[in-house]
Amino acid sequence: MAAEGDYLFEMRGIIKAFAGVKALDGIDLKVRAGECVGLCGENGAGKSTLMKVLSGVYPHGSWEGEILWRGEPLRARSVRDSERAGIVIIHQELMLVPKLSVAENIFLGHELTRPGGRMDYDAMYAKASALLQELKLDDVNVALPVMNYGGGHQQLFEIAKALAKDAKLLILDEPTSSLTARETEVLLGIVEDLKHRGVACIYISHKLDEVERVCDTVSVIRDGKHIATRPMAELDTDAIIALMVGRKLESLFPKVEHAIGEVIFEARHVSCLDPVNPQRKRVDDVSFELRRGEILGIAGLVGAGRTELVSAIFGAYVGRSSAELVLEGKPLKVRSPGEAIRAGLCMVPEDRKRHGIVPMLGVGDNITLATLQHYARAGHIDRQRELQTVEAQIGQRKVKTASPALPIARLSGGNQQKAVLAKMLLANPKVLILDEPTRGVDIGAKAEIYRLIFELAAQGVSIILVSSELPEVLGLADRVLVMGEGRLRGNFPNQGLTQEQVLAAAIDAGPRAAA
Amino acid sequence: MQAQHIQQLFARYKILALLLAVAAIWIFFHIATEGAFVTPRNVSNLLRQMAITGMLACGMVFVIIAGEIDLSVGSLLGLLGGVVAVLTVNLQWSTPMAIAAVLALGVLIGLFNGVWVTRMRVPSFIVGLGGMLAFRGALLGVTHSSTISPVPDDLVYLGQGYVAPMLSSLLGMVIFAVLIALTVLRRRRRAALQLRQLPWWTDVLKLALIGAALAGFIVTLNRYGGVPLPVMILVALLAVFTYLGTQTVLGRHIYAVGGNLEATRLSGVNVARVKLVVFAIMGLMCAFAGIINTARLAAGSPSAGSNGELDAIAACFIGGASMRGGAGTVHGALIGALVMASLDNGMSMMDVDTYWQYIVKGTILVLAVWVDVLSGSQRD
Repeated sequence: MAAEGDYLFEMRGIIKAFAGVKALDGIDLKVRAGECVGLCGENGAGKSTLMKVLSGVYPHGSWEGEILWRGEPLRARSVRDSERAGIVIIHQELMLVPKLSVAENIFLGHELTRPGGRMDYDAMYAKASALLQELKLDDVNVALPVMNYGGGHQQLFEIAKALAKDAKLLILDEPTSSLTARETEVLLGIVEDLKHRGVACIYISHKLDEVERVCDTVSVIRDGKHIATRPMAELDTDAIIALMVGRKLESLFPKVEHAIGEVIFEARHVSCLDPVNPQRKRVDDVSFELRRGEILGIAGLVGAGRTELVSAIFGAYVGRSSAELVLEGKPLKVRSPGEAIRAGLCMVPEDRKRHGIVPMLGVGDNITLATLQHYARAGHIDRQRELQTVEAQIGQRKVKTASPALPIARLSGGNQQKAVLAKMLLANPKVLILDEPTRGVDIGAKAEIYRLIFELAAQGVSIILVSSELPEVLGLADRVLVMGEGRLRGNFPNQGLTQEQVLAAAIDAGPRAAA
Repeated sequence: MQAQHIQQLFARYKILALLLAVAAIWIFFHIATEGAFVTPRNVSNLLRQMAITGMLACGMVFVIIAGEIDLSVGSLLGLLGGVVAVLTVNLQWSTPMAIAAVLALGVLIGLFNGVWVTRMRVPSFIVGLGGMLAFRGALLGVTHSSTISPVPDDLVYLGQGYVAPMLSSLLGMVIFAVLIALTVLRRRRRAALQLRQLPWWTDVLKLALIGAALAGFIVTLNRYGGVPLPVMILVALLAVFTYLGTQTVLGRHIYAVGGNLEATRLSGVNVARVKLVVFAIMGLMCAFAGIINTARLAAGSPSAGSNGELDAIAACFIGGASMRGGAGTVHGALIGALVMASLDNGMSMMDVDTYWQYIVKGTILVLAVWVDVLSGSQRD
């Protein structure tokens, strides 16, 4: 490890303005070789902008301040320049080409070649396998397309890609947002290994337990300003949160008592076939019931079939599926999301960008998309009445937007999610399915979404909550279903339930509760 | 900073930029033709020429906003125009009967295309390419590859007639009165619902500008016999399509489907039906354009509508529609059609060789979209 005070990388007084508005206002950030610095801040605090400055997306000269690399000024004009220096960023959204092979992705842009520009596949396969071995992935065929592997594997491929570029400074932006607990564990282990090998890391995450575990130092930014940099040893999760929000958060889970009524919804024998490989069942004969005002958590590892299960119930599963549904004692046939919504069964999908929002449409148009008929007579929209509803929803759900006509893509993730929730709430759901409702959402918006979930339950709405964050499931749900490999592996009342119990059921190692 | 400001201005007032481009083109041709371009007679001709591409562009812009494309419209225009000629000339149908039949046929063929795209899930590019060949073939079949004439006078009137100056002025005033009424009604409704109001002078300014443009348009055309009938039809279509696009559930769903198909489906919208309707409307517009085309030529021609799809598609993109779907406007597409028609008309007047005409039109299309990209509106 480098000597004290000997920084590999230093940012001094970075200021970046967009049309006169300062997104970054004097940020300092320092990293030593072999050190992991946690960068924390709410969504919109300026983390992404800062990362774009330091990785060369915003070229030298388009911002003020200076960047030192091994004590020398670094003037990166493009991502390629900064990568050549040894700075590699792994983005929150995976940047892999699905149809290219694992090895081709790992070496994309830096292909190993033979004379004449021919691809040296043998060398790439060998080196890719070696890299993946280091990451403890030994079940991967590097010649197969990336799309054959799940999100967890793909995240690790991204890291292999960074290692192939011989990264000295690795920036990880929310690397675990699509990983399961076990995959997260592997990733954190890898970050620790990298530190021992002298690689410096900047770790950006909302998941403070991860920051606490791998980071040596934590820098907090808020509203584009540098708030504090302290050794992790002097901090804990509550202290970091306090710095991030500038005030102490009492608790993210103000658990609200609510009455649970009679069985309102039943799903029986739900099965989904893999759309590509119909021999394989993604969901295999899952049955459950749901009571009025109940919050039902569905936990499981990525690939356990949770999203497929709820999509099939909502009529949105892409492949073939079968299910018997009963809503309020009457059998329900759902062939499309439209039918589901009209019956009172609504869903907020997992992938907000692809399935939740229409990016170019205004915030208001997105909010009323599912219920446009309510404001229309003979196909004519009463726009003023629509706008009245929209403004009421924006107020109630605390969607921060300059105007209801602003394209929704310009909003932060948390505000987009609140708008998507508003869209479905306008349809007056009896059963509301929330698939990863707080993914990529800042802490403030998270707390508001939790409050809303309890509020709805108290009003008698039944909620199905799919989440990969166990504390979220345990903090919100009245009952927890655990899925694994397409099957139901546990059905626990949430009384004294621990993360360990849920995880054990998900990986099929623990005792099964009676379904 | 300076460049950014200009960029924002362009993005915000894209229509203004387009109108400036049209003005520049007109001034250029006016000088190049020594004052023969911007005359009542030529403007009247120009707008009449533009009407057919404009009708196609009205339908096409919805197809493009919905994230699809339809390459068959030129051939379909020809086929439907041929059918109206065959019905009136060979089969002696009355003109209203023949028009009604062709409009219905247009909708049916549009639906047929739509079914291929939505139910059979063949990409619309391919369906259009197939239709382009097949409809042209059908046209050659029904006309036996020869020109069919003379079509009845009442049909010819649709393409070559004028709305009398008095009536034109009256219609212009009615349109203006309706616009004022709509504005007042909207302000009242917003006040009743306690929504924020725009300052009153913006509405007045907007109405004044529209009024001035309308007056100039009608006064000019009245000096050459009145508003050409196809142009009047196009103005009516502009009103109907703008209404469809901005005030109806269907319109909102078209933008949503093109903007994000999956999110729209998961919001409970029947996306297949939206696309089907869009293709049906496109078929209907082909029928309109085909009938007017036959009426203008006073004959059904086996080559009618060749390359019509390209002009219509180019008009939409010049008018700011997004290649990815989800964005575009009807008035933008019509201004795009005006740009294309102005180039055709001006270059013909200057006796520019045909080969140059193609090169110039192609270049303008690419440049127009490039400017759009620079203004940032084609980015996601």
